[in-house]
Amino acid sequence: MTTLVLTAELVEYMESGVSLLVGSRDASLRPASARAFGVEINAPDRTATVFVAAAGSETTLRNLRDNGQLALTFSRPIDHRSLQVKGRVLSITETDERQHRIQDRYFSRWSEGLIFTGLPQALLRRVRYYPSYALQFQLESMFDQTPGPGAGRTTSETR
Amino acid sequence: MIALADLQRCFAGVIPSIITTCSRSGVPNVTYLSQIFRVDERRIALSCQFFNKTKQNVAENPFANVELIDPLTFQTYDLDLRYAHSEISGPLFEKMATRIQAIASHTGMLGVFKLLSADVYEVLAIREVEGLLGPPTADNEADSEEAPMSLRTELRALSVVTERLRHATDLDGLLSTLLDALRDELSFEHAMLLLPDETGKRLVSLASRGYGETGIGAEVLVGDGLIGTVALTQQTIRISNVSASLDYGRAIGRKAQDHGAGAPAAEIPLPGLPDAQSQLAIPLLAHGRLAGVLAVESKSQLAFEEWHETFLDVIGHQLAIALENMMLRAEAEEAQAVTQTALPTGPAKEARVLRLCFYRNDDCVFVDDEYLIRNLPGRILWKILRSFVDSSRAEFSNRELRLDPTLGLPPVKDNLESRLILLRKRLEQKCPELRLVPKCRGQFRLETSCTLELTEKDSA
Repeated sequence: MTTLVLTAELVEYMESGVSLLVGSRDASLRPASARAFGVEINAPDRTATVFVAAAGSETTLRNLRDNGQLALTFSRPIDHRSLQVKGRVLSITETDERQHRIQDRYFSRWSEGLIFTGLPQALLRRVRYYPSYALQFQLESMFDQTPGPGAGRTTSETR
Repeated sequence: MIALADLQRCFAGVIPSIITTCSRSGVPNVTYLSQIFRVDERRIALSCQFFNKTKQNVAENPFANVELIDPLTFQTYDLDLRYAHSEISGPLFEKMATRIQAIASHTGMLGVFKLLSADVYEVLAIREVEGLLGPPTADNEADSEEAPMSLRTELRALSVVTERLRHATDLDGLLSTLLDALRDELSFEHAMLLLPDETGKRLVSLASRGYGETGIGAEVLVGDGLIGTVALTQQTIRISNVSASLDYGRAIGRKAQDHGAGAPAAEIPLPGLPDAQSQLAIPLLAHGRLAGVLAVESKSQLAFEEWHETFLDVIGHQLAIALENMMLRAEAEEAQAVTQTALPTGPAKEARVLRLCFYRNDDCVFVDDEYLIRNLPGRILWKILRSFVDSSRAEFSNRELRLDPTLGLPPVKDNLESRLILLRKRLEQKCPELRLVPKCRGQFRLETSCTLELTEKDSA
């Protein structure tokens, strides 16, 4: 089993305002999806905290409180560079002021990254990413997810 | 209750949709979807281009969840799905494969990037995600959608277009009438009609609106890009977010190179608008034979919806039949026509000299060292010019062209009329000193006030 290495370049990409998608599942293995707005990576501990808006993530929160199994995909709209990490939730808390500032910064970078898609910025400003929850989780494995041959290949795993 | 038909805009791919699945051992997987297609009121199909975790998971555990976003309102929808089956042939597969093939072809990725299967899912529930969007503000009110055309307006427009097609008396008139009607009745500002050339390997644009002079004579190889793919597969293609679709193809290209594939082939320039965001191209089919391709474009994303496709399919079918009938009728009428009228005055003297050169290796005609036309229209022009200079003949019939073995026209349904339209239009644009003036049906006259100097060469 190789060690999951979070290089500075990788962490910079993960925190750079790329799109964030959270996947979870319930006890009967029914999956649920939610978009997240902001992430903070703790490379030495191999943990991450991802922020989901309370609206629209009720099922996701229920699933994660129940079994903790989480998948998080990072994807950059401009070149489709994508990465998926999987892991187990350590804690779920309401976001605090400091985390709100991370979310604000994320949201503005994420919106800028979508300008080329032609989406009106005024429309994006309607998104209510507060109130939100911070999902702290332990990273267990990481997969290259850029579309094409080899998508889904494990880049590294850890225990 | 939200219907799948109400979510049409979400399927256009402007904002990529998310799919979450889960393995039998309980590990979730979340990823983007490249293409969603509504099969009917209860089912959708997802494109599978690569064997991946999603595919593996639904084989173990059929449940999936998809999140969709309406690109005009940003409203999010949550769909619970159950995987039903995969199709690797048939109409649904062909429809989805064609669209992917067009994108792959345009980005030089044919073969690397193709549809493996159309994966059909049953939709178990559709929920509207509440509370994620604040109320509209003054600055985004203007972005709200325009009222779609009502069914009555569509049907009225269809009847007007049909009526106008019926009154066309020749091919040129038919093509112009159609494009005018599409612009006037349905606001298709950028439209192009392409017909196959004599080899069947290439399409040539014979009439267009909204492209200026460049619209006529544009060529597309069958199999290349959007229009070429429509011709090859005889399937309609609608792309609502051209730049994003092409970016997706390019991303796969880079990835394939990382995995040892060769450099992608050169990108094929899209004929038409450089900044088109929506494209819709339909094959014109009469009795299973490709009579041409009708392509419309817009600079707006989401300009064309499902009903536009259906609507143009209906019009395209009528047009294809009209094209076929017109060609058959032209051939029958020409068979009875009398020709061989001598030129009364002969070529004009002491006028400007036009130097024309014919290159035998590719049947190409140059005028004053500038490219004019090639292939069959080039051979036709040269035959006419030779007769004009050598025998002082100015009047010609379609029938004699058809019977001339040196031109190499097929015995029936030869598209001669369309070649003559192309030739006439190229002359109008590039060499107005030479005019092919239609007379009665199946006959035309060469008019010029210039002195013609003809030379022939084997190659350039």
